[in-house]
Amino acid sequence: MELLVTIAKTVLYVAAVFGVTLLHVAYATYFERKVIGRMQGRIGPVEVGFRGLLQPFADMVKSLFKEDIIPAAADRTLFFLAPVIVVASVMTSLAVIPFFNNGAIANLNVGVLFIFAMASLAVYGIIVAGWSSNSKYSFFGSIRSAAQVISYEIAMGISLAGVFLMAGSVNLNDIVLAQREQPLGMFAVLQIVGFVVFVISAFAETNRTPFDLPEAETELVAGYLTEYSGFRYALFFLAEYISMYIMAALIALCYLGGWALPGFVTRALPFLEQVPGIIWFLIKVYAFMFFYFWVRATLPRYRFDQLMAIGWKILIPVSVVNIVITAFVKRWLM
Amino acid sequence: MKQRFPDFIKKILFVEILKGLALTFRTMLKPPVTRQYPKERRDPKPGFRGQHAFVRDAVTKREKCVACQKCAIVCPSRCISIRYTTDDSGARKLTKYEIDALRCIFCGYCESVCPVCAIVLTETYEYASYSRDGFLYDRERLLLNWDEFAARLKRDSYFNMFWRPAGCDVRRLPAGKREQQAIPAGRKPEAKSQKSEEENTENGRPSPSVGEGGRI
Repeated sequence: MELLVTIAKTVLYVAAVFGVTLLHVAYATYFERKVIGRMQGRIGPVEVGFRGLLQPFADMVKSLFKEDIIPAAADRTLFFLAPVIVVASVMTSLAVIPFFNNGAIANLNVGVLFIFAMASLAVYGIIVAGWSSNSKYSFFGSIRSAAQVISYEIAMGISLAGVFLMAGSVNLNDIVLAQREQPLGMFAVLQIVGFVVFVISAFAETNRTPFDLPEAETELVAGYLTEYSGFRYALFFLAEYISMYIMAALIALCYLGGWALPGFVTRALPFLEQVPGIIWFLIKVYAFMFFYFWVRATLPRYRFDQLMAIGWKILIPVSVVNIVITAFVKRWLM
Repeated sequence: MKQRFPDFIKKILFVEILKGLALTFRTMLKPPVTRQYPKERRDPKPGFRGQHAFVRDAVTKREKCVACQKCAIVCPSRCISIRYTTDDSGARKLTKYEIDALRCIFCGYCESVCPVCAIVLTETYEYASYSRDGFLYDRERLLLNWDEFAARLKRDSYFNMFWRPAGCDVRRLPAGKREQQAIPAGRKPEAKSQKSEEENTENGRPSPSVGEGGRI
């Protein structure tokens, strides 16, 4: 009986997280189009619903009813499987993210590593998508994506190692709790180098501008997405936005103090303790989502060799130096 | 070496990128420049060269064209074709006037050269058509264009700035141009268009029977 209740609770929680995330993704597209529109002097969507608020649903219905085109030369099984791999592995990462104190679906001790593992699995989906489409653009796009994600995952992991050293744990919940007594209540102050490296890698990891080479329109049509249409395309789109949310959540949790407020703020204004932690968490996540869009509206795309040079020649050495210094300071000075 | 050091610092601190981010952020706070076209239409400025029309004369209720062919001669894209007959007194009578609007380059030469201010490029800019024939304007269509334009005009009167070309001494212009006054707008378009249709049928019939004149 106990077990059944636990299972039912977990399933309900999973369903809730799943549904809420989908809603957030739908409005992330709206948010993005509005923000980028205003940054370019346009107004963004305004036609569907009040101020265009129903635009995401109109897009969803459109992509559901679109013709699903499968290339004649495609490997059908893999072609069908690829978006499922991507979405499933990205969605699984959501399980370990604590939205508030102990608010993760699964409070794993290796939460961050789990997210990295899932992000690497998503690359398989992209490679499979490019390979099974049997199109040169898709193939080039997927190869680029694989190269990019693998290179930047190194810098990303090493920069996070600084956080692990500071917190003394890989559990996301413990990392947040360890930040309470930090200056400003976040690791982003002392780990500023790691923070910058992580932010840059997060852009590359989610294939966003200025590192959106796998989908470089001018060269590769739409990269690994070229041959996909209708709902399968929407699935890739969904996965991209969820992985953006996951990267934003990781930054909020590991560098910006997660759901918690800095100690000196809650001591000065004790009533803020009453506000649910998920609100602070969402504010931090959306601040970073806004940064994603802001950068997209500002920066042009990097060349592929520049992308690789930034990853291997700058970010990885910098993050290694950062981790060494952090380790020394932690061992001998604290 | 002195030059490279600040560049290096600039790169580390992302100075250029931050400048770009500041620019886009400032733009976001400004009001957008979008004009929602079918909902918000902009009024053309005077001197806008849009759809072709024949000015409908207040007295004769017909076009003022005297078939002098100046417009057809001056037209760079040769989109105007004119035919006329000559009566016993030597006066020309227009039998056919056609403008192929698809070939027109909207230079406005025809309206500045016209000695009687008959042809005009109005400020109408929405005149799409499903067929090529829809852009082949004959006499009646040109008069109709004028009626539509006059009915929609928001100003009190209309005077085309190309009727009196800038830098040209008014005394050297032909009489029709010198005496041309601003045309008062705000006439009742319904009564007008009905009348014109009646006249069209009256005047339309005899014209084909008249022999064809010169053609440019």
